[in-house]
Amino acid sequence: MRSRSDRLFLLSLLPPAATIVAAMMLMIYVFVYHSVPVLVREGLTFFASSRWSPSTSLRSAFYGILPAIYGTLVTSGIAVAIALPLSLSMTLFLNEVAPPRIRAFFSTLVDMMAGLPTIVYGLWGLFVLAPLLQRLVMEPLHRYLGFLPLFSCPPISGYSVLTAGVILAIMVMPYTFALMNEAYASIPLTYREAVLAMGASRYEASRILLSMIRPAIVGSVLLGLGRAASETVAVTLVIGNTPTISPCLFSSGYTIASLIATQYGEAPLYPFMVSALYGAGLFLLVLGLALNTVGLALVTRWRVRMGVSA
Amino acid sequence: MSLRRKLIDRAFVAVIALLSAVGIAPLFYILTTVAIRGAEAIARVGLWRFLTSIPPAPGTHGLGGIGPALAGTLILTALSTLIGVPISIGVALLVVEFPNLFVSRAVRALSKTFMEIPTILLSMLVYTLLVVPMHTPSAIAGALALSLVMIPYTTTYLETYLESVPPIYREAGYAIGMTKAGVALRVVMGIARKGVLLGIVMGVARALGETAPLLFTAGGSHYAYPTSLTGPVDSITLLIFDFAMTPYTNLIQVAWGAALVLVAMYLAIFLAIKLLVKEVRT
Repeated sequence: MRSRSDRLFLLSLLPPAATIVAAMMLMIYVFVYHSVPVLVREGLTFFASSRWSPSTSLRSAFYGILPAIYGTLVTSGIAVAIALPLSLSMTLFLNEVAPPRIRAFFSTLVDMMAGLPTIVYGLWGLFVLAPLLQRLVMEPLHRYLGFLPLFSCPPISGYSVLTAGVILAIMVMPYTFALMNEAYASIPLTYREAVLAMGASRYEASRILLSMIRPAIVGSVLLGLGRAASETVAVTLVIGNTPTISPCLFSSGYTIASLIATQYGEAPLYPFMVSALYGAGLFLLVLGLALNTVGLALVTRWRVRMGVSA
Repeated sequence: MSLRRKLIDRAFVAVIALLSAVGIAPLFYILTTVAIRGAEAIARVGLWRFLTSIPPAPGTHGLGGIGPALAGTLILTALSTLIGVPISIGVALLVVEFPNLFVSRAVRALSKTFMEIPTILLSMLVYTLLVVPMHTPSAIAGALALSLVMIPYTTTYLETYLESVPPIYREAGYAIGMTKAGVALRVVMGIARKGVLLGIVMGVARALGETAPLLFTAGGSHYAYPTSLTGPVDSITLLIFDFAMTPYTNLIQVAWGAALVLVAMYLAIFLAIKLLVKEVRT
């Protein structure tokens, strides 16, 4: 039985809850509502065309976001491809090798990295990482392996899809590490004892224990992709912002987020451009939510299966 | 152990140790770069002048400071905390005290989903909802966008710490005839007060360093101090973003100085969080 005062208490907690519900509904409404004009006008070519030509004349204005979708997928892919081995190594190193004091120090540093303002990564990426990658990675690769399409274009500036991928890798790594580390550390002790009792070396134990948390690793990869796809300012500073699709990693490009960040300010001057940017945003929203839902489901389903409480 | 197994094991440890070092190295590289270049910039004008004066106009010489941006960051962070914290506490209390209601479960799921929405999209949302009707970007709009970033984050931490209060304390409260509200606000919040504070500080740290939510909402000038909450304000993060993309070396130097100020503020809060966490755990 619920008393009057309890009911009042519940009622007083509903307005804050309502703001969250309202914010979510407004989010969906605003993005769908504003995307409709461009989707009606251009149909699916909006997602499939690489022509981004803002114009004040209605006839020649056309917006295709394929380069931005492509850039988002490639940069996030590079980011996770680099972050995965690094965060896996860290997880194993901290859990299997490092003494407790080093473990605590190390995870404090990773926490610090996770929270560092993204604009600081961007500034460093723009003035330190981009020139460094250009000189030490892109130019040698182009010179010696330039026959491969991946390295075929001359790295005229350091601002490229590759640079964006690397800066994203640095930013995403603490996040994927935290997810994997949590999963690895919550493997029930009995399994670990059983593995060690068989006389497994650290390498063998790691392999066996890692195979147990495979779903959680796949989940962290998806969550890492979602995180990388939604990052804005650091990428905007280093990707060069041109609507190009090139197999070459040294060319400049766009991500959906950097497209919005650089174009939204002038968009009201051109017909349909605001709508096009909301359409791109809607795509990013759906992509992000899909990656996160599946990723979280994998991470939690694993916990349930192992009988570990969430 | 056979020699082969021993060698593989050694190689394995060497590889993961090396990759771990590679993974953490950028942090040191970034921090030293910001410290050196930032200190160079600040030393040229002096700390006080850097924190209070106005940056140089594009194309001129000299350095100036980040006064309006710093003021804006403080206003935005304070205002977003003011909006975000009551909502976060309300939501966390609802979810923890009434866990079986449909609203609670729905709000919990929505809040988790909200955390994953790209922050640039929140900026677009607030632009449509507030900036367009008000005909101007404003401190309110920027703070609202920041609070949307902060709320799901803070709520999650508050839930964790409120839930960790042992049930025996609640039962003791009920046993002496306290109402549910009394137990939640005075007993549970009282016991978890350090955790609650921690959740709030984490949210503040988050709001302080955000750039994307402010891109279309705060919209202030780097050169003028904010005059009202309904007018535009600048922030340190926006200033760094804009100045980094200019071709002027003195503005870029100001951006490095601003980055050092931002990192120093972040590290101070980070240290406070680490000390709090230690207290919460013991």
